[in-house]
Amino acid sequence: MSDAIPILEVRDLEGGYGSSRVLRDISFTVAPGEILVIVGRSGCGKSTLLRYMVGLSRPWAGSVLFEGSDIWSDSGRVLSSARRRWGVLFQSGALLASLTLLENVMLPLSEFRDLSPAVLRLAAFRKLDMVGLADFAASYPLEISGGMQKRAGLARALALDPDMVFFDEPSAGLDPVTSAELDQLVCSINRTLGTTMVIVTHELPSILAISDRVIMLDSSSQGIIAQGRVEQLKEHSDLRVHAFFHRLPQGQANDVA
Amino acid sequence: MTTDESISVEGSVLTVRGLLRAASVGALTEALSRIARGGGVVVDLSACDGMETAAAAAVFDAIRRARNTTSVEVRGASSELLQVWEMFGLRAKALESVGRPRSLRTHFEGVGADVLTAWDVVAGLLSFSRQSLEAMGRTLRYPASLRLSLALYYMEQAGVKAVPIIGVLCWLLGTVLGYQSGYQLKTFGAEIFMPDLVGYMVTWEIGPLLAAILVAGRSSSAFAAEIGTMKVRQEVDALEVMGFDVFQFLVIPKLIALILVMPVLVLIADFFGLLGGLLIGGWYLDMPASVYMSRLHLVMLPLDFYWGMLKGLVFALIIATVGCFTGTRVRGGASEVGEATTTAVVTAVFLVIVADALISLVYVRIRPGVIM
Repeated sequence: MSDAIPILEVRDLEGGYGSSRVLRDISFTVAPGEILVIVGRSGCGKSTLLRYMVGLSRPWAGSVLFEGSDIWSDSGRVLSSARRRWGVLFQSGALLASLTLLENVMLPLSEFRDLSPAVLRLAAFRKLDMVGLADFAASYPLEISGGMQKRAGLARALALDPDMVFFDEPSAGLDPVTSAELDQLVCSINRTLGTTMVIVTHELPSILAISDRVIMLDSSSQGIIAQGRVEQLKEHSDLRVHAFFHRLPQGQANDVA
Repeated sequence: MTTDESISVEGSVLTVRGLLRAASVGALTEALSRIARGGGVVVDLSACDGMETAAAAAVFDAIRRARNTTSVEVRGASSELLQVWEMFGLRAKALESVGRPRSLRTHFEGVGADVLTAWDVVAGLLSFSRQSLEAMGRTLRYPASLRLSLALYYMEQAGVKAVPIIGVLCWLLGTVLGYQSGYQLKTFGAEIFMPDLVGYMVTWEIGPLLAAILVAGRSSSAFAAEIGTMKVRQEVDALEVMGFDVFQFLVIPKLIALILVMPVLVLIADFFGLLGGLLIGGWYLDMPASVYMSRLHLVMLPLDFYWGMLKGLVFALIIATVGCFTGTRVRGGASEVGEATTTAVVTAVFLVIVADALISLVYVRIRPGVIM
């Protein structure tokens, strides 16, 4: 994987909120077709990093490169063309409440694809069918459960057959079964469509089930403290990493770190 | 990624190679319908590596159209694609109606639902008023239970901060009333009665009404938005399970604050309204301030002011109750909060004017010295 040309690269990134820095010296690459999981404890800057990766905020320093070009270069043109080739699934699904699920999924299609409404409806429906919501095409987001909203959000993220999908805490608030189903869905989409996935989460079972590679952030060093395959991280010598992957209380990690 | 598609046509055979993307499926559907005009078509997909979903839908649609007039044979389609197409075939009809404009019948259903909702709202408002009166009774019995700091906060927000706008607007309206009535009265040489008209209009109607409408616009909406947002964020549920009396916590401080500030705001409105009349009298009618004042003194009763303050009290009850009640009706998400604020203002202003009409009817009958 490591010798392939990266689809996304983060280089020397630094950022935070207001005047408080959360991230510094963040550098890593995402290879095409891999499932990269970014983990860390609450408040370590995972979601902030994701915001920088998808271009919702501009980093203080450093850059995010999509297929080799800085997403902020060329006065936003790189970013807007990159956005047509990636999808983002937000924590709560972020569906528009005034539209049905089908219309929600049709939204990016009708914006970026010059096809007749009947064709768009079929394509959107196919995506809902993929996430198991075929029977809810005419429902509104508030009429369905949180897990279903998230699946519908995934259908929308997949609407344009993106090369890459970003997930912000996909399993947060889901029951173990729904969460496992979502993991399975993510894996099967990755396998069948070759979609690159970047997933921010702190759900251990998810990480174990789906990750090709894991990057761990920690607030104490404001950056990456470990990366590699999940089996490697479980045996990592840093006690912060050890505590995370073995569900141990913080005290045991703090004594050493 | 696989190499992009290429589409070639040989006689009636249309061959697709590579990965078919949605962005360029237009060329394929065009070619297909062009060949179809001349007779049967063969679509050869054996060299096609795959299709984006939107492309698959577009090809499906094009083939379906072509089949209306001629025969279309598909060769070498993957079983996965055929499955997707089969599903499209089954669902295409049903999907047509999703997201379409509403039919006449659903419009009528909507009207019926709205009537039921309206009834539900009226019943809800009445029961909410009863509950807040009960909570008010509890507060009066145990004054220590009042959240004084909250009440003071709302008195500042709804009362003190409303003084400038109420003052300016009432002064302007007093000026206009003085000018308009002076203009009419002048034709009869009766401009001496201008202070009577301004005095009655301002203290009986304009003062209380304007104060109430402004407070409704500022605070009824704010109350609805505050409680509505708390409902959306489950803060109200949290208070309830912690054992708080939600009325005591959320409604009573607002109610008490408005009850205390509204009569004062009415007095302030009266003052500025009468001041407007005085100034325009001096400027437009050459009426000295002393004449204006002595005329007011002659025709107005202290009761006129008290009655206006009483109106203010009633309006305060209406505005606070409607604002809080509308907030508690928020169920869904953020968009409902916006709706609730609008509803709160419109309902509060409507009820204030209805109440004003009723109270005024009573007043003209009981006021001493009014010749009917």
